[in-house]
Order: sequence, then C-alpha cells, then structure tokens
Amino acid sequence: MCGIAGISRQDELGVSLDQLGRMAAAIRHRGPDGYGFYTGPRVGLAHVRLSIIDIASGAQPMTNEAGDVIVTFNGEIFNYRELMAELKGKGHQFRTSSDTEVLVHGWEEWGAGLLDRLNGQWAFGLYDGRTQRLILARDRFGVRPLFYAVNGGTLVFASEVKALFASGLVVAAPDPVGLDQVFTFWAARPPRTPFLGVSQLEPGCYAVWENGRLRSHTVFTPSYSEDSVEDPRALEQLDELLTSSTALRLRADVPVGAYLSGGLDSSITARLAAEASPFTLHSFSITFEDPAYDEAGFQNEVAAALGTRHTVRHIRSEDIAAAFPDVIRHTETPLLRTAPVPMYHLARATAEAGIKVVLTGEGADELFLGYDLFKEVQVRLFCLRQPNSRRRPRLFDRLYPWMSAAGRGGEVWRRSFLDASPPDDPLFSHMPRFRAASWVKQFYGDGMAEPLRGVDALAELRDIMPAEHTSWTPFGRAAYLEILTLLSPYLLSSQTDRVGMAHAVESRYPFLDPRLFRFAASLPTSSKLRGLSEKRILKRWARGRIPDSVTARTKQPYRAPDAPPFTSAGAPAWVADLVEESAVARSGFFNPAAVGRLMTRCRQHQGGPREHQALVAILSTELWYRTFCLTASAVTALPESGADVVLSSAPQPTAA
Amino acid sequence: MTNLTDLAIRERLRQFIRETFLYMRPKQALGDEESLMRTGIVDSMGVMEVLAFLQDTWSVTVADQDLTEENLGTISAIARYVMRSVSGASPDREARDRNA
Repeated sequence: MCGIAGISRQDELGVSLDQLGRMAAAIRHRGPDGYGFYTGPRVGLAHVRLSIIDIASGAQPMTNEAGDVIVTFNGEIFNYRELMAELKGKGHQFRTSSDTEVLVHGWEEWGAGLLDRLNGQWAFGLYDGRTQRLILARDRFGVRPLFYAVNGGTLVFASEVKALFASGLVVAAPDPVGLDQVFTFWAARPPRTPFLGVSQLEPGCYAVWENGRLRSHTVFTPSYSEDSVEDPRALEQLDELLTSSTALRLRADVPVGAYLSGGLDSSITARLAAEASPFTLHSFSITFEDPAYDEAGFQNEVAAALGTRHTVRHIRSEDIAAAFPDVIRHTETPLLRTAPVPMYHLARATAEAGIKVVLTGEGADELFLGYDLFKEVQVRLFCLRQPNSRRRPRLFDRLYPWMSAAGRGGEVWRRSFLDASPPDDPLFSHMPRFRAASWVKQFYGDGMAEPLRGVDALAELRDIMPAEHTSWTPFGRAAYLEILTLLSPYLLSSQTDRVGMAHAVESRYPFLDPRLFRFAASLPTSSKLRGLSEKRILKRWARGRIPDSVTARTKQPYRAPDAPPFTSAGAPAWVADLVEESAVARSGFFNPAAVGRLMTRCRQHQGGPREHQALVAILSTELWYRTFCLTASAVTALPESGADVVLSSAPQPTAA
Repeated sequence: MTNLTDLAIRERLRQFIRETFLYMRPKQALGDEESLMRTGIVDSMGVMEVLAFLQDTWSVTVADQDLTEENLGTISAIARYVMRSVSGASPDREARDRNA
C-alpha cells in the first residue's frame, strides 16, 4: 500500500520536482519504504511506497516497455499473476513481478476494459503519453482514496487532501455543502468532500483528464437481482468464494496478519487466513476499559481456537481524547463518532509488531445483511402490513440490544421508526439513521445556515438513486444505500484506510471480492436475513469452523465511547479551548451559546446518544477547521537525491 | 386553585423543555399542544429525562403502562398527568374514562 500524487497541466511548462516532493512528503506516512517521481512536459507523478509485493523491483512510478504509459499506483491487484500471464501471452514484456506493472501493460492492451478485469483495491493515476490523457481510477468499493482539484487548466490529485494543499495549488477552505453531508450521512458523499473545490473520485469510476477537462465514467455500481430460492449449491459456492478470496488477499511478500473484533466476520477471515497462511497468523484486537464496548472474551476464545499469536491494544478513555487531533489530521473530515480512534491505536500496535498487512471482516454486514438497520427495515415493513396492530411494533424493542436499556423501547422509541418515512421513499431504510445524524444541524451557526439555504442532502441522494433500484427488494435498496453512504466514505475511509495508513498498515477485505459481492447480491433475502436472525448463510458456513459462542451471539457493532473522553475531569485542555464561546463564534459553524450549553450538559452526564454525537461532531469540526484551514501546510519536500526512481521524458510538441 | 396549579405546571414544563431540549433553538415556538415526540424535540432518551424531571419536581412516578404519547406527548398532556397524580387520582384510569 502506498500514497500517490500528481499534477497535470495544460501547458508544457513541466512540473517541478520540488512541488511533487512536497506532495509526496505530505503523505509519506502511507509509504515509508521509498519514493519516486516522474516528470514530463505536462504531467508530474509522485509515489511513496509501502513495499509489499516485489520488494526488490516494485518501485514507482512505473512505465511500459516503450516508456509512454506511466503509472503511480496505490493498492493491490490481487489477481495480478493471472493477468500477467494473460498479458505475457499477448506479447507484453514484463521487467518486474509486481502487480503495478500489470496496470501499464493492461492499459495498453485493454484500455479502460482493464478495470473490469481487476480483482483488487486500487487508486491510480496513469499517464498515457500516446494520447496525452491522464487517467484516474478507483476500485469498486472505494477501499483506496483518491482526491483531486482542478485549478484553472491544472489537475492536482493525491491519496490524501493534505498533499493537494502541499502542492501550493489548492487552498484549504470549508465547503458547507460537504460538511452538511457529513452531518447527514456521517461522511461527505463522493465526489463531494468537506473541502471547497476538492473532490474525490467516486468508487467504481475512472476519469479522463484531457485538454483541461475531466470526464468521469462509471465501471461498477452495486446492483441487486435476487434469486427467488437459494441454489442447492449455495453453501458450497460460498465456501469456494471465501477460500479463494482469502487466498488472493494473502498474496504478499511480507507476513499478513488479521484484525479480530470478536464478532463473526473477522473470526471468519481470521480462520480462513490461519488455514491458508504459511506462518502462524498474528491477530490483533482492541479491548476497552469500559465493559460496554469490550469484546475481549470472544476475541480470546477465537484466538485460542485458531492458534494465532494474539496482540491486544487496551483502550482507555484518555487514549481516545489524546489521539483525537491526530486522527482528525489523518481522516481529514469531521466525525460523528470516535470509533476510528481505537482503530488508529490498533494500527500502531500492528505496525510495532512488524505487520504491514491485515485482513479484516468489513463488507460482510453489507453483503449478508448483518446490521440492525436491516432488521429495522424488516420490522418496519412488518408493522406497515398491519398498521393497526399494537403487538407488532413491540418488535422494535428487540432491536439494538447492545444499547443501554434506558430509552430503548416504549412508544416513543417505536414511533421514531414508524414515522421515519413512507415505504415508497427511496431512502426508506435509512431515514431513521439520517434523521438521527442530522440532529446536530440544530446547532448550526450563521456560517452554515446561509450557504445551505436551498440545499437538501437527502433530496440530492434521492435524485442519484439508480433507476433500477425500484426493481430491487427493500433489502437490496438498503444494502445499496449502506455501501454508498457508509461503507465507502466512512468505514473504509475514516475507520480503516486513513487510520491504518497513518501507521503504514494496509487492510484487505476478503468479503469485498467482486465475485463474493455478486454471489451475495443474488442470494434470496431469506438466505441472509430471516425474522431477526442475520447473516444466516454465513453462520451456516461458520458452524463447526469457529467457536459456537461467536456464531450464536447477536451482532454487536464495533463502537467506542463518544462524549466521555472529552467531558471527564481529565480531558485535554484543547477541548475547553475549542468550545470556548469566542472560538466557536469565529469559526462560525455552530451557535456558540448552544455549544456551551451542550458541553455543560454532557459534563453533567445529561443527555443521550444524540447529544454525545453532536459533541463529537462539533469538536471534530472545530479541530478539522483549525488543522487544515487555519494552519498553513508546512512540509519539506522529499529530495530527488533520496528517490528510488526518477523518470522523466523529453518535452513533446503541443497538440494543435 | 386547580387552574392556577395547572398554569404553574405548564409554565415549569415549558421552561424545562426549553432548557433541556430546545437550548440550541431558542427562537423556536413551543405550543402546549405541540407534539414533543413527533417533532423530534424529545426522543426516547429524552423521555427518560422528562420522567426524572417529573419525579424530582412533583414527586410524580410514571408507571410503565402510562409511558404513552397520550400521557407524555405534549406539554398539556404532561400537565394533565401531573395534575391527576398530585391530586391522588389514578392517572391511567382517568385517561381511560376520558377516552371512553
């Protein structure tokens, strides 16, 4: 895993190595093992390397035989061996055994058709000197990040936004519309970001930069066409797919570890990895001081059953507050939850143990309907079929059993689901969550209210729902929205890539193999969710393979303490500084008096989850603003002298 | 006497709702008949705070079966519930009688 950056100009004045060196320096944490540059008359590319495959000769940027197709690549192409063999069969000459080289030859051979052949997680910038086009591409689910900005006739792109700022070509400023999306969906919805003028390439897309214009094309979007009955061979197919997907994701020239949450999904990936790995698997877990969040018992049981070498990072409340500013610097967005912070600590522990790559269980809940949100849909639809039933709404009291009993249940609780939206609303499944997240908007100050006049994040989302969504089941629609609004822009970004790469740890996701996605999307709903029983076919597969206690337990989402780390007596001094009335008034995002009252209530242990969430959102927004918009980017360029590779091409004539 | 007490209860409830649930929206109108739940002013966790407030202020304990929107859904409804409780009437029985 690595970091990439680049600049493409319309004129032929070239791109300075100093500019590329500053961009590379800003994301050096993603690739501490080496770096390299390419400069041409119109295009400059930079790469910082975390060496995982072909450690000896995989340095980037990398070219084809003729030197006229150049790539800077972040990610992994897991089926690179198969593609390499195919391309060699077509006469392509490979100089390395790295997956990167597959991209340049594959582009030569298939053009954009290459992307559909890739099984992996990628973000790359590829300059095709033959056509003078720069291509940006991002994997199906947005595992790897890719941001860009267009400034006049210049395109600037990078793995992280901070590298855009380091180029000196992009100024950091807040985008109220992007922030409003964060306060609706938990993350800005690609292509939007919280920064004005900064976009992110949408997952499953590639974009072509030519003659000063960027045109985006969609290669993949999740689609749901369910079979009416389960194929008799479904369990066997699942086994083949899980085994194959994991085996592909163990391809590396370094040992691969595994994160173990204590839940079903990561237990499955750890089990598969332990079986297939030639080494004793090294597993990593977070435990919490607060037993409400702790899953140590299940983690230890699985680690013992699989015989892994197990490392635990214990998280106290003060660990969350202490690392929060660093986490915001890496996630580059306000957050509504603190959950990325323990993952940041876990990645550090993983790196300290010498492990660069981990398998994790992300994706299983989206593919196999694991979240309570899907059960919520089930109960809401069940109630709507008999609106006068007084018995049916009581099922809502059985949802979210991991939450505190206070406030969970009763008429108001039930009504919050029943009244959320009508069943013909394309956002039906997610309206309770979107409404809950949007509660923080009541704290908006003048700096937000005015620019957002006439802006409706929900209406915009309804507008971009694919036409075919009406033919999907309510659960297909829910899974689509979950991937679009949460998995890609939040879970895979803030909660894994960004906090992992802060310590140069790459995550791989066996459940996000495209073949496994197609398999899961075509299963009948009943194979995934029946009544209030989730991930049924996965549990059938897991029976006898992982401890029964884990397959039998009810899904518990990964969470971390939210407000208490910032409101306890030992909270860091910066917290009070951030919410001080004049500071909040200066930034303008929130109403200073209301923020003061919120802080007081949280300190007095009043209020519930929505106020705690609001506090995290407000603190993180103020931190984010100070870190990026009020502080100038100050990085020292990585010098040309230390680069593993510096490529350049002679000036070419300007196209007429 | 009853009217005066009813007014006092409503006034105290309004103050509590504003300080607890509407401090971030001080300009928002708050009518006695406005649904506190359907407008999102009070959520299910907020109900817990309302219950604690009724207990602390008027020593009114709300029985589980009385945890309904009918009893707690508006300022007027809560005031009626409190009035019935402090006057010694059985709140749920009176509510049933009224709806009969």
